Order: sequence, then structure tokens, then C-alpha cells
Amino acid sequence: MSEKITHATLPEVMIYQVARTIADGGLVFHGFGSPVPTLAMLLAKRTHAPRMIHVEGATYGVDPEPPFLPPTSNDWVLERGRVITLGIGDLFDMAARGDMARMFLSGAQIDCYGNLNVTALGEPHQPRVKLPGGGGGCNLSGDVQKLTIWTAAHRAPVDKKGVRRFRFVRNIDFISSIGHIARDGRTRAQLGLRGGGPDTVVTELGVFDFAPDTRVMRLRALYPDTTVQEVLDNTEFEPALADDIGIVPMPTAEHVELMRRFDPLHTSELEFRKEDLERRFEI
Amino acid sequence: MSIFTSDDKRMSLSDAASIVQDGMTIAVGGGLSWREPMAFLRELIRQGRRNLHVVGTAHGVDVDLLCGAGAVGVIQESYVGFEHDFGMAPNVRRVSESGNVQILDTCCYTVIQQLRAAEYGAPFMPMKSIQGTDFLKLHPEYKTMECPFTGAPLVLVPALSPDVAIVHAQYGDARGNLKILPPLVADMFFIRASKHVIATVEQLVPEEELRAMEPNVPYFWVEQVVEAPYGAHPTSCYPFYAYDRAHLAEYHHAAQAGADVFVRDYLSRYVFEPASHADYVERIGGAMKRATLESWKENDDAWRALFTAQEGAIA
Repeated sequence: MSEKITHATLPEVMIYQVARTIADGGLVFHGFGSPVPTLAMLLAKRTHAPRMIHVEGATYGVDPEPPFLPPTSNDWVLERGRVITLGIGDLFDMAARGDMARMFLSGAQIDCYGNLNVTALGEPHQPRVKLPGGGGGCNLSGDVQKLTIWTAAHRAPVDKKGVRRFRFVRNIDFISSIGHIARDGRTRAQLGLRGGGPDTVVTELGVFDFAPDTRVMRLRALYPDTTVQEVLDNTEFEPALADDIGIVPMPTAEHVELMRRFDPLHTSELEFRKEDLERRFEI
Repeated sequence: MSIFTSDDKRMSLSDAASIVQDGMTIAVGGGLSWREPMAFLRELIRQGRRNLHVVGTAHGVDVDLLCGAGAVGVIQESYVGFEHDFGMAPNVRRVSESGNVQILDTCCYTVIQQLRAAEYGAPFMPMKSIQGTDFLKLHPEYKTMECPFTGAPLVLVPALSPDVAIVHAQYGDARGNLKILPPLVADMFFIRASKHVIATVEQLVPEEELRAMEPNVPYFWVEQVVEAPYGAHPTSCYPFYAYDRAHLAEYHHAAQAGADVFVRDYLSRYVFEPASHADYVERIGGAMKRATLESWKENDDAWRALFTAQEGAIA
């Protein structure tokens, strides 16, 4: 065993916040191209949620024990130790009948209700930027019981053209997956959607839930090195603020060790900015 | 959708590819970086196919390559990209942002349900999801209705029967029985819903040998079989070979540099110059490359090393 772990990196602290949204005993699924929730699920199952059913993002393998996280999701590395490999129909059918407890989605644009855009920036028929698309996110955002949203790119620096491109936007260009309220003002209940929608948003600046009355994203906790002002400056809409904004709980040395064991290639760091990879937190 | 009973379905890659005509809807098997029928797609490009309508779930280099060769008219996929490894799909972006293709982005379950409608011989499938998203605007062919039993809002998605399904299986026999090892992605749905079904296989084996493996696709669902070892390269096809990360790095680099550079540095070198699929396998590095990509079996360290392979590692 190496020397005692005293500090965690920002990705590790963020992954721990994502893991904390996972309850024991339900079927949990992460999408492809999502090493942050993948690691959160591997961690949760080996700590507080041993009866969580882990379904892999592209292989649909159940409860795998991968030797490492590869940089692509549909790979036999992620099939190691699985109980069975589900079919794509089996998995999505479970969600459609209400049996998927939680999943995780991100977005190039995120609005105050947790609607996400991963399809196109600008006009969708001939976009300014064609984004890769959302996989099963559209369907699952309607069907899944609970949804965690995460992004490592909340901060909105000024780009080369002097334009500030917010990730948390007032007006979303395309709704790829549905949050709490649609463009026309209808709620999930009015849309006939089965699931409860997003309940947590984890970013490199803080952790949010949604205000029960307005269904608008609400800041609940900061990191030891971020501030409310920083969150407000980097969010185009006005987020709600909880009465008792706290500091996120830190992972233990055991948590950090588990994450490092599963991710020797640092695949979960790929989506982080360099300056955020340098952040360290005492645990 | 169809029944095929010919005793010998073996065919050359070029003859099989000629079944696909300009403007057809094709369902490309595999997904992301796994078991995509790349040798077949390269042959389609060599034959100059245009205006193809591609349908599927989450894909990668397969659809991006077709777009880079100007072969695509409509993209109806749930995702096309290189995930957290290389990011966005440069050729898909280029043809989408220039307005040269019709963007019909979709979602995994929506595609599966549309294929199922075709499989079931039903005109549509009702879904509870999609409501509240902009996919309803992007797809005027989807209809909404109130459920006649419960009164709940529903989205109806029409049956989708692709003209041709192209899958790459690990094993097949001359009559068309296939053994596809999981993950199966959407292959079984494509096979059952499409009008024509073409399989390329890593290994063509005698029928008795295939029966001993317990085939998961019966011969009467498959119209043509083409033997193409390394036919999924540069995507993976376990238990034979892993993802060729070095090749994909070279691909992505060329694609990002621009349409002309992609033609000069990638398409010419890997699609147009090799006279056959066997020449392609030599061009990507021959026996040395094969030994590297098959080294995943040795131990976890060797497997892990394949995912850190850098561009320029190509012989």
C-alpha cells in the first residue's frame, strides 16, 4: 500500500458528489462517453450502495469489475466480471416501464429547468456547431425515476472572439433531453412523463438541486475554493440560492483509493480543464 | 422483413456492396468503436455511392468516414462522435454545418421502437418519452395522440424498415448462419427490420462448426455473407482484435485538418489506393499491426497499453 492519501483532486471530489446521488437497491445506468458517472457508480456500489444494479453505458453489461476505464465505452474491458450483457431493448424497456432508478446526463447547454442540449448550437437544420447527439438521453430523461446532471465546464471564460459562451444558458437552442418544464411551459406531469426529472446538478463550481416551487436550479453547496459570486458570474440565468449554502462533503481516503484503482489511465479527467485538474482538497 | 434460403450466400465484398444503391437507407451495425462493418463501408466509398440515408444508435468512425467521402445525404443517428477519446466527429460537423446533409438526429430507444414496429409488422409504436423535447419539431413524421385507454399523451413513431442492414459478425457459414458475440448493439433489430441483410464475417467456418457455437442469427435472415478478416478495423472486434487507437488518432487528425486534407491524407491512403481489403490490411501495418492489436489477450498491462497508443505508432 502506498502512503496515506491526504488530498483529493477536483475530479475525485466531483465524482464523489455524483456517487452520493445513487441510492442502494435500484437499477442505475450511465450513458456512453461518461467516465465521471461510470466511476461514481463503481464507487457507490463498493461503498454505500452494494445492491445497486450497475448497467454499463454502451455494453449494457451488468455489475462489471473493469481492470481500468478505457477512453471508449463499447469495449470488452468494461465487460470484465459482468453477470450478463443485456440487450439494448431490454435496458430501454426497463426504463420505459419505470424500473430505472437513476441515470446521468450532461449538456453543451443547460437551462434553469435542467433541459439539456447535446444536438446543435444555432439552428438545428444547419447549425453553427453540430454537436454529437444524445444517445438515449431524450427517451431516458422522460422515463428514468431520477436524473443527475453533471458538467466539468460550468465556468464560462471569454473565447477568442471576445464572446462569453455560457454552458448554463437563459435560452437553450435545442432541447435534446427534458428537465422540469418544457418550452411551452408544460410540466412533466402535463407532458405525461413517467420519471421525476433531474434532482441534482454537479459542476466544478458547486452542487445544485431544483427549487420545489419554481423548479429552477438552486445552489446548495460550494467547494472550499469557490464562491456564490463565481457561480452567479458564470451562469447566464439567475439560479435560486438555498438558505443554508454549505461546503460539499469530502470523500474519504478509501473512496479516493477506490477511484484511483479503477482509473489508472485518468480517463475521468479528460473532460476537465487544466486549471481544475490542479485543484486539491484536504480530506 | 424477408426470408433468404439460398444454399450458398458467399459473395465478394465488391459484389455485396453493389447491392447498396445511391439514396438507399442503410443500417450500419455495431456501435461507437465496436464491430462496425468498416471494410464494407470502404468498398461503398470506392464504388462512389452517394446520398445514403444512415440510420442507427450511437456511432463513430463509420458514419464520419462516409460523411468525409461525401457518401451521406441524411443522418438519422442518436450520436456520432469519438467520445471522450477524440471528441466530436469532424466530417459529420463539416457536412452538417455547411448544410450538405439533412440532420435527422434521433434517440436510441426511438430507433429501436421504430425498428420493432417494422419487425412486428405494425405501422407505428406508441411512446411516452420524447414529449417536451425538440425532436418532435425535427421529426414531423412523429405524431402525438391521447391514449384511447388512459387519456395520457403519447408520441407515435412510424415503422422503420431500412433498405439494407450491414453487420459485421465474428463467425458465419456459407448458408448465412451467424454467431455475433455481444454487445449486440442494434444488430438484431436491424437484421429483422431491413429488406436486405448483408453480413461481413471475421471467419467463415463450416456449418457444423458454427452450429457447435450456437448461432444467434439463423441463415434465413441473412442474404449475403462476405468473409473479411479485420473487416471491423479500426474499430474493435473481440475476441480477435482491439480498437486501433493509433490509427483513429491519425484518422481524427486528418479529418480535423479539413475536407481536402482528409481526402489527401486519409481517404487516398486507406480507401482509394488499396486495391482490395487484403491490401488495406497490409497498408495499416500488416503482421506487426495485427500482433499489436491482438496483444490485448496477453494480460491487462498489454491491453491497457493499447489505449495509450499515440499517433505515429503506425509502421
